[in-house]
Amino acid sequence: MPELNLASPVTSTYAPNEGAPLSLTDQTDQAKVVVRAASGTAARKALAVSYGRSRSDGEVLITGSRPDEWMLLGPHAAVKSAVDGLPTEGHVSVVDWTHGRALFRLTGDVAASALEKVCGLDWSDDMTPDGSVVSASVAVVSCDLVRNDVDGTPSYLVLCDRSFGQYLFDALIDACNEFGVHATT
Amino acid sequence: MNRLPKQSGEVIDRSQPVSFTWNGKPATGYQGDTIASAIAASGNTIFSRSMKYHRPRGLLTADYWDPNAFVQVGDEPNVRSGHRLVDDGMVVDPQNVWPSLDYDAKAANQLVGRFLSPGFYYKTFIHPQKLWPAYEKVLSKFAPGGTVDPETPHGYYDKRYTHPDVVVAGGGPAGMAAAAAAAEAGARVLLVEHGHHLGGHLLWGSDEDRALAAGLEVAVRAAGVEVLTNSTVTGRYEDNWLGILQRSHPVAVERLIKARAKTLIVAAGLIERPYVFYGNDRPGVMLSGAARRLINMYGVKPGNRAVVFTANDEGDATVADLERVGVEIAEVVDARTGGTIHSTKGSQKKIEQVKVGPGDSYVDADLCITAVGWTAPTSLLNMSGDRPVYDPAAARFFPNNTPDNVLVTGGLAGDGSLDQLVEHARSTGTLAAGRAAAVRHRLQALTARSVDATGDEPAMPVDDRTPLRRDPHPELYRSTTHGIVDYSEDVASKDLVSATKEGYDSVELLKRYTTATMGPAQGKLETVNTVAVLAEARGETIAEVGTTIWRPPYAPISLGALGGRIFEPERVSSIQPWHTANGMTPILAGQWIRPEHYGDPAAEVRNVRANVGIIDVTPLGKLDLQGADVPKLLNLLYTNKWSKLPVNGVRYGMMCAEDGVVMDDGVTGRLGEDHYLMTTTSSGAGTVWEWCENWLQTEHPDWDVHVTPVTTAYTSINVAGPKSRELLAKLTDVDLHPEIFEYMQLRTGSVAGVDNCVMWRIGFTGELSFELHVPAGHGLHVWEALLEAGAELGIQPFGLEAQRIMRLEKGHFIVGQDTDGLTKAPTTGMNALIKMDKDDFVGKPELGWSMEQDLPVLVSVQMTDPSIVPPEASQIVRPGTNEILGRITSSRYSPTLEKSIGLAQVPPSHASSGTELTIVLTSGDRTTATVIEHHAHFDPEGARLRA
Repeated sequence: MPELNLASPVTSTYAPNEGAPLSLTDQTDQAKVVVRAASGTAARKALAVSYGRSRSDGEVLITGSRPDEWMLLGPHAAVKSAVDGLPTEGHVSVVDWTHGRALFRLTGDVAASALEKVCGLDWSDDMTPDGSVVSASVAVVSCDLVRNDVDGTPSYLVLCDRSFGQYLFDALIDACNEFGVHATT
Repeated sequence: MNRLPKQSGEVIDRSQPVSFTWNGKPATGYQGDTIASAIAASGNTIFSRSMKYHRPRGLLTADYWDPNAFVQVGDEPNVRSGHRLVDDGMVVDPQNVWPSLDYDAKAANQLVGRFLSPGFYYKTFIHPQKLWPAYEKVLSKFAPGGTVDPETPHGYYDKRYTHPDVVVAGGGPAGMAAAAAAAEAGARVLLVEHGHHLGGHLLWGSDEDRALAAGLEVAVRAAGVEVLTNSTVTGRYEDNWLGILQRSHPVAVERLIKARAKTLIVAAGLIERPYVFYGNDRPGVMLSGAARRLINMYGVKPGNRAVVFTANDEGDATVADLERVGVEIAEVVDARTGGTIHSTKGSQKKIEQVKVGPGDSYVDADLCITAVGWTAPTSLLNMSGDRPVYDPAAARFFPNNTPDNVLVTGGLAGDGSLDQLVEHARSTGTLAAGRAAAVRHRLQALTARSVDATGDEPAMPVDDRTPLRRDPHPELYRSTTHGIVDYSEDVASKDLVSATKEGYDSVELLKRYTTATMGPAQGKLETVNTVAVLAEARGETIAEVGTTIWRPPYAPISLGALGGRIFEPERVSSIQPWHTANGMTPILAGQWIRPEHYGDPAAEVRNVRANVGIIDVTPLGKLDLQGADVPKLLNLLYTNKWSKLPVNGVRYGMMCAEDGVVMDDGVTGRLGEDHYLMTTTSSGAGTVWEWCENWLQTEHPDWDVHVTPVTTAYTSINVAGPKSRELLAKLTDVDLHPEIFEYMQLRTGSVAGVDNCVMWRIGFTGELSFELHVPAGHGLHVWEALLEAGAELGIQPFGLEAQRIMRLEKGHFIVGQDTDGLTKAPTTGMNALIKMDKDDFVGKPELGWSMEQDLPVLVSVQMTDPSIVPPEASQIVRPGTNEILGRITSSRYSPTLEKSIGLAQVPPSHASSGTELTIVLTSGDRTTATVIEHHAHFDPEGARLRA
């Protein structure tokens, strides 16, 4: 049997707009694994990033998504390797959220201006710098957001419940339209 | 035509002519003209009719606040023509006139004006009450305002959230200077200007004034200030949460900006105040600012021969402007030397003479300019908790006590030369930036994601600004005669005096009784005059009378802007594309869009009973539970016992709140030693997650349990029907033999090549069923594989309606449908699941008590007439009476049994098998039903689902 591709929740198609100031890319096929580790566990030490911040470990982005909770994002094999390498003693749990969350990347110099239209957070560089992680309502949907700049250009990962994926992708495009956006699914 | 030759400060572009229609006739203007300036340039002097008496009205302020310049533009009513820029092709018409602006039949109201005193409506139309509908119809014909077609398409409105360090309200010289200084001090600054251009009153001033404005604007831009023109700070709320209406957005009709400012600078300037005298609403009477705006910004000559009543420099400058453009100055009446004006004479459509004093002589004029002082628009200060104080020497209100994060500068704060005002504003900007930096430091120190705050929190800078002086100004509110105080509402000073005599002698009562200050200008022009007339009537001072409190919004906000973009999140499963392509009839369940059916729900039921069907049940709530203490949590939250649930076992549980009321139910399966999967009702998924976290975090933080919501990590599919095992056997590596994989057990394995599927042998339909939880990214693949493999078995998808019919045939209740906010667990008939011998569980004390009470009982019923399906919520009454005994909670026609069936809540006295119940239908007719022995109408022994 051929290997199955993970189907994205975004099933609409969008006209290309190459060169637009903003790009919105569907990256739902990335692996997303939640690790929860209680205080004092070795896993917590190994994850080595505090709540609200993130760090890259090779191809894997380790995000401190909530107190005592981390989400690991990246290629499937790399994330699996990273998770398998975590110490498991103590109260540690792992849940694969790959299929449960939609993941989009919004990139561009005016990305924060687009987010200001759908989210009430302060997107300034001092309050939400590169590497920051936050949970917030985006277009009335609960989301996790990670600022993960690309070559110095502001870039934001937006994760939501998979079932909201198509709605949120469209809401983000609507917010981006006044600046110009190239959507890739 | 009243268009003047080019003026040095004009904001119109004469190379860009604009054509539009006014009052049904072609008119022209230039780009940059307001509608009002373009109409005035065409020689028109009448713009509207007053609200009550339909008196002709001309321009008064020629800006946003002009109460006489409301017009209809196309389908848009109540457009402020003194502010809205004219555009090519605009169709502009007067409002609420019949048959025309020039000859308005409703002006006959003036003939009975003496009877239309304050409170006329209240006193006249209260009796007899039965005639009110008739009164209402007639009165609605006199309602002011324009018209709107309900079919008008909804425009694109927008919202924005922003967190600047400093917001400056007002883009005049003080606002610009403050903004630039704050930005130069390192603050992120948002400057909000109500008008179309920065500059404030300098725009209609001298060339030197405009040069100063231009220099300040250069400084603003150079400092990186974000500038919003044609925008208004509409309100200030707790912790400097500001509403800003942006009317100048390039895409949206309007945008409501919600700004959390660390410091707010209020530099709103001053608003010129009208003078109250007889005939002050005749076309041709206008304020000095209006005349100067028309001349200097729009190149429009406001009249030919003028009387100017002046009490200040602005009035004097108006005289100079009028002379410069060729308006004959008939007389300058200087209030500072005892001069006054008493009244105007003329037709209703224009003034012809002004009676001036001392001496009471009449002077011929078609223009009467007044410059009698200003109102301090302290709205944002009121909203900040300040109660401004009246200074009789300066004849206006001043700030009193603002919070640290609200600073005031410009004319609101005091007087001085332009240099002094700019210096004060710059000090204010620097102070605001310093205070914002302290707040920002604190926020960074408190916020996990932010850049780390370095060093100690800076001290909040002290306000050491040199206060602005207050220039003396004569108190000029009302002349020797009575005139209009509120132009929008047609309220005259004599109305206020009369209302005061009636006993409405507090300013708040007077306002509401007479409606003075309650029109579209919302007191910007009328408040102080209203207070002054009241003070005079009471023989007191303005300070003693006090004033009303300005509340948000400072300027009107359209409903579209308040609503913003319409966010209506929709949730769909991964199978949604197939549902849509295959004729589903959708139903909205919470936020989920689900298939109600695919054409014939009864056929879907029959197929499941005979063959096999599949239903998408993805919305079913799912929680991943991990940890050694999960059984403790389950024992706490469910009424039954969980300690001995084996690995691969599945158990049903009912969850109650502390008061014993049923809050959710579902099954939980044990996937591994310390790993469980809990399902909840579709609507209860979020609530149950929070419920778990609430108990874990507040009562049992010592328990090792992690709860993770995984509802949409899985696509959930129920495979139901006597051929379901045969179907699944084609696609899975799991051994499905009934003695191996028993009812109420689970397995994990692959289905249609998809690994890590969870398979439960449970069912809601009463049939042999397997509930599959498939990794969601492969859900559609599995669904299509099931359909393909099941083709030879007669497989058909079924929707929510068929499922609801089958569960009713089986007698399963639905939380929230067959229970309500008062239904305690014993009512459901599941007493066997309420384990009072457990140490403790949520709701135990209340349930212990309630199990001894005569609670309602949930029973299954069958209608006597098999064709009548009583609507859900139909009342069950005592025969021959209207005494309500209970209600039908669910009802359907059963295709399997070919009769009408239902569930009902009834008292214990009516719960025995065979009891006949009387049901009231919505028509008022009554029908009967009989209580049956079991909850299940179909296969009560459960042989089919255990097959």
